[in-house]
Amino acid sequence: MEFSFQRLRALLYKEIVQILRDRRTLILFFLLPLIELFLFAYAVSLTVTHLPTAVVDQSLDSRSRDFIYALTNSGNFDVTLTLQNEQQVLQAIDNGTVKAGIVIPPDFAGKVLRGEGSVLILLDGSDSFSVESGYSAASSIAQKYSLDLTAESVQAGGSAFTGSSSGLPITTITRVLYNPDIKDLVFILPGLIALIMQIIVVTHAALSLVREREAGTQEQLLATPARPFEMVIAKLVPGMLVAIVDMGVILVIGIFWFQVPFQGNIGLLAVLSVLFIISGMGLGLVISAVAKSQRQAQQLTSVIQMLAMLLTGFLYPRTTMPLWTQLIGDLIPLTYFVRIIRGIMTKGVSLSFVWTDTLTLVLYAGIVLVLAAAMSKKRLD
Amino acid sequence: MLQRILAIIQKEFSQALRDRVTLGIMLSMPLLQLILFGYAINTNVRNIATVVADQSQDQASRDYLNAMVNSGYFDIVETAVDQNGVIRAIDAGQARVGIVIPPDFATDIQRSDAQVLVLVDGSDFFTSQSANAYATIIGQEYAIQIVMDRITSGGAAATANTLPALNALVRVLYNPDMKDLWFIIPGMAAMLLQTQSLILTAAAVVREREAGTIEQILVTPIRPIELMIGKIVPYVFIAMLNMLTVIAIGVFWFGVPFQGSFWLFISLSFLYVFSGLGLGLLVSSISQNQRQAQQLIMLFMMVSLLLGGFIFPRYTMPPLVRAIGNLFPMTYFVPISRGIITKGIGISVLSSQVLSLAVYILVVMFLAALTFRKRLD
Repeated sequence: MEFSFQRLRALLYKEIVQILRDRRTLILFFLLPLIELFLFAYAVSLTVTHLPTAVVDQSLDSRSRDFIYALTNSGNFDVTLTLQNEQQVLQAIDNGTVKAGIVIPPDFAGKVLRGEGSVLILLDGSDSFSVESGYSAASSIAQKYSLDLTAESVQAGGSAFTGSSSGLPITTITRVLYNPDIKDLVFILPGLIALIMQIIVVTHAALSLVREREAGTQEQLLATPARPFEMVIAKLVPGMLVAIVDMGVILVIGIFWFQVPFQGNIGLLAVLSVLFIISGMGLGLVISAVAKSQRQAQQLTSVIQMLAMLLTGFLYPRTTMPLWTQLIGDLIPLTYFVRIIRGIMTKGVSLSFVWTDTLTLVLYAGIVLVLAAAMSKKRLD
Repeated sequence: MLQRILAIIQKEFSQALRDRVTLGIMLSMPLLQLILFGYAINTNVRNIATVVADQSQDQASRDYLNAMVNSGYFDIVETAVDQNGVIRAIDAGQARVGIVIPPDFATDIQRSDAQVLVLVDGSDFFTSQSANAYATIIGQEYAIQIVMDRITSGGAAATANTLPALNALVRVLYNPDMKDLWFIIPGMAAMLLQTQSLILTAAAVVREREAGTIEQILVTPIRPIELMIGKIVPYVFIAMLNMLTVIAIGVFWFGVPFQGSFWLFISLSFLYVFSGLGLGLLVSSISQNQRQAQQLIMLFMMVSLLLGGFIFPRYTMPPLVRAIGNLFPMTYFVPISRGIITKGIGISVLSSQVLSLAVYILVVMFLAALTFRKRLD
């Protein structure tokens, strides 16, 4: 029997009616990405500044005030509490009222003059992002301040020491490419779009076939002249449409509302997104062939989502991972697409820069589709 | 009454044990996560692929690059001729960081106006953060070394004053090596208990309703409250067992220290599980079928993952967003879990969190009982 567009149209109609009837699921498909986008935009910050800080200044001289000013002026530390001794600072960090503490012992100015000044900076090590930001800020500010003091005392000692305005012979200028202000959203948005698309596509593909099988309606469909191939296409198209619309909505809000720059070619991204969607569907179909019930399919997709969050480079760097986890990540299409979408959106590169990932994605799509076809054919017989 | 509850517990247990795949996934997911965080994920990025354009090629520039490489943070994988070549390598993803040293570096240092340009790939968050921080610190250290050498060799007041005037000691409490797994374990225990108690209760109730068997149970002498207790107990057991496994592996295999009182932690976890169960019952009375319940739970999990303080600090969030976080029990338990496991503090310091958790449980159980009864009538 030949492939027929009429049958495909009928099947498509059935699928769309089915999707539209389950209003709550449909709303969730559109709402979830938006909630996620707004949470990432307004709630989550990867770079932590303004750490609530407790200060113990047992000197109360101009030097100690100077030093505290240098720390707070950086914007990394906000003094929210003034205490009497180190013990109290430890308590305040213990019960979580502050995340950092600065302890300046008595006679600070005098000790600095003798070259033996010391300060203690305490950080709450139970909170990952706070401590990482606080650590490098505190080290660098203290180092700088110490050098300024040395230079000052040497000059006061009458030596012919001259330096640039910063006091250092070398100035390091750091420029962060693509994301000069290190805005979290610029970094997260491309990956988030990719992640959301994968979740929608994989879940839809995995569940829709299993549901039909579970309800026993698959046999009914197979008794009609519709061929399995047509059925699968009809099942996949609506999910694809939802994913594409979702992607468009997030892109538009991200670019126009949150001002995330789009550097590259949008046509190229659209074409490669379709490729990504197809590979995600292939993965979903493989899951649906393996799963015995909707429940199992749902659980398998949530395992894949968890792996995708952690291993694909969406959030955590892949370069620090051992080889075996990198290989697991390679089994998920998001790994390739995160690089592609970041390349196009954030870096503004052309196809020639992302062609290896594109080629791998083509191969990936081919392999999972063949695999899915082979596995589901077995189930249908 | 006890006998009837025991009967329900037995029924639930055998039902849970029969669904091997679900049980397997439930038990292995947290273990998988633990292993990945233990072995795979490292947010403190070292050995960053670096491209270098050294336009001076003198002793000073080589020294400077050596200092960068010896820090362990930067691996030179490529060399380029100029800044454009460096940017091209970063564009192509061959390197994450570029260092450009302009010509006449050595003489510029003599005149004290040498410059180094460090370019960082801003599309990769953790890498760019590490690179940014350490390039600055290492560059500064190197420069300070030069100043110190100059002062001593200049024969100036070369006694006490040549020492750095200030010795700043930065001490990270509780987790001195800033190991990621130490951050993760207490939060993961909180996340796991909430997720599992939510999923298991919601699934158990909704499934029964969908299959129509809930009516069958209700025509027996069993009362709704007995049904609820009987349904909850097996899942409390499974969730607690699962959490204990995670903590045991974390402590004994990965060497994460457990600072506080173990029994205090267990009793508060027990309290906490009930908040998840209450929320699960609430979800199951709202949803019409398993699919909806699953999706609602997925939404809850995502929101509490982001807003519960597990990964992202809550004090940086705007008040409205923080208030949304307060709707989930995890928000109250993360400080408790962190406090006991990582900080080793006692109940006296945690009293306000424990009290909020208790109030939360009362409210959510009340709401759940209310909606549950309504659906049964």
